[in-house]
Amino acid sequence: MAGSSSARRKPSLWSKYGPTPRLAFGALLIAIVGAFGLTRNDIFGLSFAWPHAALWGAVGWGRVGLSIRPMLVLIAFGFVQDVIFHAPFGCFEIVNLLTYAGSTAIASQFDVMSEPLIAIVSSALLFAGAFLVLWLLASTLEDHPVRIVPLIAAMMTTGVIYALGHRAFDLGRRPGEPVGQPA
Amino acid sequence: MARSGRSGQKSSRRSPKRLVLGVFIFAFAALIIAQSAPQIAGVFDPVRTSVGDRLGTGESVSIWSRISGQAAKDARIHELEAEVRDLARYKAAAISMAERLEAYEQILNLMGEPPVRGVTARVTSESEGPFAQTLLANAGRAQGVEEASVAVNEGGLVGRVIQLGQSSSRILLVTDFNSRVPVIGEVSGVHAIMQGGSTGSGTLTDMPERSDFVEGERILTSSEGGAFPRGLVVGEVRKSGNGWRVKYAMSEGSAGYVQLIPPPLISKPIPQPEALPADGAAPAASPTQGARQ
Repeated sequence: MAGSSSARRKPSLWSKYGPTPRLAFGALLIAIVGAFGLTRNDIFGLSFAWPHAALWGAVGWGRVGLSIRPMLVLIAFGFVQDVIFHAPFGCFEIVNLLTYAGSTAIASQFDVMSEPLIAIVSSALLFAGAFLVLWLLASTLEDHPVRIVPLIAAMMTTGVIYALGHRAFDLGRRPGEPVGQPA
Repeated sequence: MARSGRSGQKSSRRSPKRLVLGVFIFAFAALIIAQSAPQIAGVFDPVRTSVGDRLGTGESVSIWSRISGQAAKDARIHELEAEVRDLARYKAAAISMAERLEAYEQILNLMGEPPVRGVTARVTSESEGPFAQTLLANAGRAQGVEEASVAVNEGGLVGRVIQLGQSSSRILLVTDFNSRVPVIGEVSGVHAIMQGGSTGSGTLTDMPERSDFVEGERILTSSEGGAFPRGLVVGEVRKSGNGWRVKYAMSEGSAGYVQLIPPPLISKPIPQPEALPADGAAPAASPTQGARQ
């Protein structure tokens, strides 16, 4: 009974789309969140940490394996982040690409698509690793240990929002499946 | 749970992508290292300022706004608002102070400070990242902003322009770790250097050993070093353990606008021309020279 009802359930609009529109949508989402992040990050006098939106793409897109287009998109976002944060060119590109590489490495070893626990733990580890790399890079290049609290706050924001909207960064193709086949 | 087999089969197909990823990461690491040389870092400055210009003036005006004339009205309203904001700030202070100041200057026979010129700009973005704490304002060379201009808001000193684009300026905040501002206590007259490093307050260093600030007194710029004009409000001093900290005044004025004041112009001393010896005679020797001879 339950099986027949699930069989009759219509596939969602999102599940019909392949990796390319999903990649474009995810990139657009990151760009919009990043653009809003340029404005003042305080509401009613309360300052809050803005998420590093590009990391959503790095973690989410990496779950389906390595691909050139996500890499190029992440490099583009890294370039913009370098300018916004006044960081030496290459810093955020490295953070984004290392996170992407970590995500693909975990996805190749574990079934992150159907194991929620692994998906949650791996995402948390990837975000923590990304911010650790960022802290190390910033501390090394600025010649002093930079403040860690804003980074942890940004990491929390990034992680919580990713947990809520991670489906937007699912390219819909499991590792090993042919290119373009929707989930 | 653990994936095996498939990844091994696909490894040969994925290897070029892995290679590309490795090359990218290596290239960006090399780029970061290369930028430790100021000459190479300077190569990227035009790119940075160009992108900053675009981010700084990112006000997109819709076609409908252009057709209906709303865009022009909005621009005029913004312009007038900025003007009113400027005028309101100066009106009260100017009325009460101008006459007294003039009288004091006459009494002291003092050379007064030059009138403050400046450009008011809107803060279009601020970065709270792990790197330099900066603001991006939507005024640059085209609007008359000068290199190393000083940024102030309604509260007081905000920072200093470190990168100047055609229509944008990047301001290093006084809260940045690398920021150093020579300051003076308004009441005590004690000189010190204020170091950034925390968003709420700055640390005072390099103070004289036998002098102390007065708790709660205002801290002003001292103009030592010539980077900042004298008398800009920096904040309020508070005792913190064995040291002193300054609660930033800029936090009180966060309307999103800054005024960019040109840096103080300190003219170089003109060397006095040496007196030419009369009739080609050798110049008179100094006592030291005489002793050597």
